[in-house]
Amino acid sequence: MEKFKVTFYPDNKTVEANRGQTLLSVAISAGIYINSSCGGEGVCGRCKVILKKGDVLTQPTGRLTIEERKKGIYLACLTTVQSDLEIEIPEESRLSFDKLTPQEIELRLRGLYGESEDIPSSDSLLGEVFVHSPLATKLYLELPKPDLNDRISDLERLYREIRKNYDIPIMQTGLANIRRLGEILRSSDWKVTVTLGKRNGTVEVVLIEPYDTSKRNYGLAFDIGTTTICAELIDLNTKKILGTKAIYNKQAVFGPDVITRIIYAQEQDGLEKLHHAVVDGMNQMIQEFVQEQKIDLNDVTCVLCAGNTTMIHLLLKIEPSYIRKEPYVPTANFVPTIRAAEAGIKINPRGLLSCVPGVSSYVGGDTVAGVLSCGLYKEKNLCLLIDIGTNGEIVLGNKDFLVSCAASAGPAFEGSGVSCGMRASSGAIQKVKINPQTYEVEFSTIGSSLARGICGSGYIDILAEMLRAGIIDKSGKIKLKVHPRIRETEYGREFVVAFKEQTSIDSDIIINEADIENLKRAKAAIFSASSILLKHMGVDFKDVKKIFIAGGFGNYLDIKNAKIIGLLPDLEDDKFIFVGNSSLAGARQILLSYPAMQKANELARKITYFELSVDPNYMEEYMAALFFPHTDILRFPNIKNLI
Amino acid sequence: MIKEYIENWSGEINTVTIGATLNEGGTRRFSIKVGGEKTLPFLFKENKLPFKPVIAYEVWDIPPSDWPEELIRFYKDVLNDPLAWAEKVVKEYNAELICLKLAGAHPEIGKSPDEIVKLLENILKSLDVPLIIIGCGDDQKDNLILPVCSQITKNQRCLIGEVTQDNYRTLTASVLADGHNIIAQSPIDINIAKQLNILISDMGLPLERIVINPTVGALGYGLEYTYSIMERLRLAGLNGDKVIASPFICFVGQEAWRAKEAKAEDSEFPQWGKASRRGPLWEMITATVLLQAGADILVMRHPEAIRKVKEYIELAYSV
Repeated sequence: MEKFKVTFYPDNKTVEANRGQTLLSVAISAGIYINSSCGGEGVCGRCKVILKKGDVLTQPTGRLTIEERKKGIYLACLTTVQSDLEIEIPEESRLSFDKLTPQEIELRLRGLYGESEDIPSSDSLLGEVFVHSPLATKLYLELPKPDLNDRISDLERLYREIRKNYDIPIMQTGLANIRRLGEILRSSDWKVTVTLGKRNGTVEVVLIEPYDTSKRNYGLAFDIGTTTICAELIDLNTKKILGTKAIYNKQAVFGPDVITRIIYAQEQDGLEKLHHAVVDGMNQMIQEFVQEQKIDLNDVTCVLCAGNTTMIHLLLKIEPSYIRKEPYVPTANFVPTIRAAEAGIKINPRGLLSCVPGVSSYVGGDTVAGVLSCGLYKEKNLCLLIDIGTNGEIVLGNKDFLVSCAASAGPAFEGSGVSCGMRASSGAIQKVKINPQTYEVEFSTIGSSLARGICGSGYIDILAEMLRAGIIDKSGKIKLKVHPRIRETEYGREFVVAFKEQTSIDSDIIINEADIENLKRAKAAIFSASSILLKHMGVDFKDVKKIFIAGGFGNYLDIKNAKIIGLLPDLEDDKFIFVGNSSLAGARQILLSYPAMQKANELARKITYFELSVDPNYMEEYMAALFFPHTDILRFPNIKNLI
Repeated sequence: MIKEYIENWSGEINTVTIGATLNEGGTRRFSIKVGGEKTLPFLFKENKLPFKPVIAYEVWDIPPSDWPEELIRFYKDVLNDPLAWAEKVVKEYNAELICLKLAGAHPEIGKSPDEIVKLLENILKSLDVPLIIIGCGDDQKDNLILPVCSQITKNQRCLIGEVTQDNYRTLTASVLADGHNIIAQSPIDINIAKQLNILISDMGLPLERIVINPTVGALGYGLEYTYSIMERLRLAGLNGDKVIASPFICFVGQEAWRAKEAKAEDSEFPQWGKASRRGPLWEMITATVLLQAGADILVMRHPEAIRKVKEYIELAYSV
């Protein structure tokens, strides 16, 4: 195969590439991540690059204007290497990883945006306080030395001493530890620290260290989301959270949602690449934690992961393809506790990794962790948990029963598949007001910087404000005809949210009728899934006493606007409770408490799953929800007069 | 003995009036009311069905290219003269309602708005029955010609259509200004039917001026599905959902004569019986089934089929 050199600017990185390789894959091999919402299908038009020098072959696309083509702009996913190349990657084409500001991380991890400080964060009020009993416990022991009257073996001597502290009938120890045991005990004058790990109903002597290290025992809780990975470093002795971090899931470059990633996993080395993308991200976070907190990596003894079923499969490099094939069966919902090193996670080499069990292919451990942490399972009254994401998960129930379903909402609310969409990060338009007389737009961006795009909460505000101002009709068509902000294009009419001067991307930020259609479908999927679940149980929204809103996206939501567009049911504001990242909160609880893990196992078994794709009523409900706020306006009595 | 069960419906179907008389500002000899049902079709014992279903004769502004000989033979002498065609169905066949289809306006044929204006003026002068006016089906062209038709027939309280969810604003605005009624077409889908009614009434057109075309299939071509959608819409209306309590218009002729069983010539399928009997029967049966589903206005083609269906309606309403 003919090889060429490709240099990327402004990174100034040069890598070798084969003739015919796409620029997108060459960039990935150079460690440069380019936006690619569609996973390299040539559909989203996000991966624009500028050819500075060299020859390429490209395919026709409607995603580039004639002007852009003249400037030498190409879509990286449709363009292949034909000679040595120099490529410039403009800012808007880049996936800005790791660059979440501390403030954004804070938002992702708990509370609400802006005026919402009064709403309690998930860990203070909700959930159960489980007995402190972490996944890995350290125990300092001073063993009586053997003599002729006490001649039991070293290992039995160790067990005997452990059992003086804990009633553990069955224990196991790996051969590697047994091989080292005699030497460690004698060289440390019979003073050792053992790390006891809970593994699948038994207890393992995970680690034997000389002298007393029991004060230094740390664990990590992870929420592995399709879009974002969040983590907390926790002192397992004191239960204190020592640090929090959030990064983007680098798998995003292979596709925006679980389905495209499962498809990507079928390609050559696809599973390997997806696995590495997530593991590398996690290891990078762990490294930073360890350095910042000045702790020894060997003192990190366990990791607890919550994630949707696909994310967990990819983390553990388990073939995910059966998840998307009828009858939608995953390889494993309950994954036994393993050694973290087996999954490539770098903590203490003998440290443990456990995953929160899932319910089904599309209701995963993240949802179970969410149910655990918001305490839905012990509520007396009927409650609903809505996790608004690319794959929206919904759980209905109380202390007596739990049912769930998943709605494929698409990534529109996460800023994908919409023309100016972006994730909720710096420069994203997140709050919008439109003057109903002049149609002038007032907006604020995350980090108060120049606008770069629109994130989910921004889109919800825009839709609600456009409805209120009469710019769009209830079916989402732009009805306003003549105004400087209205333009006719080949993709239908568009409305300018921010003019070029207010942006950092050198072009107007707009919303068009196709975007509105995508957002309408996303909100219809979430709402109709909730209402079908209620119908299955023979109850109505008004019977629901609390609605827990979860998900990274749930942190920024304007409840009233979400009701106006029909994403959330028309209930009193005080029934909605933001639980932020309930998945991470649940993972932390499970990491710190074995009873919490047992509860999670029980919940995963107890939650009944409804497969909507085979439900004949779902389509009908979905069609009825494809309207603002809904075809059946009687379901939104308080919204009726607002639009 | 078991007592007869009577359902007390909380709602009723909206009454739509087509045609305006001199007293009402128009020049029609009479007006026609449709809708107003307080119960399901033909359940006279249960509650009131104040107005009989009506049949509109289809009249085209150009000679139809796909009508079979069995239909053409009735209109041979007037195919090239839409005014004469309209006069013929009123004077010879006693049509009480005409449905004028402006097929010639289609961009591929390209009749100009002027020609259409002239035709309409002549029809208004020569005839005094209420009118239904249907565009050519091309959104852009309809948005050009139908507002003109609406203006020319101002205050005659016509029934004009059709609008869809993707194209309703232009015509709704005209119809609202000129005092007409509108036909809201949905693709055999109760949700879209309702959404469209909401969108139209959001523009200020009262619900009493909307007639729903639920889109129908002929006998053997989805008639059962059509039936169930119409029944569900009607039940929702009778149960008090004002927004979709609109009367139905069904394009029976258009669908029935598309069926192979209706239009095939004798020589093609001799075992099927004579086309002169088979064709009208197909249209007639489709029509009577749609009456059972709640149709208020039937747009039909074959004079014999129309005569029979009228008899059927008279008979049913005489009990």
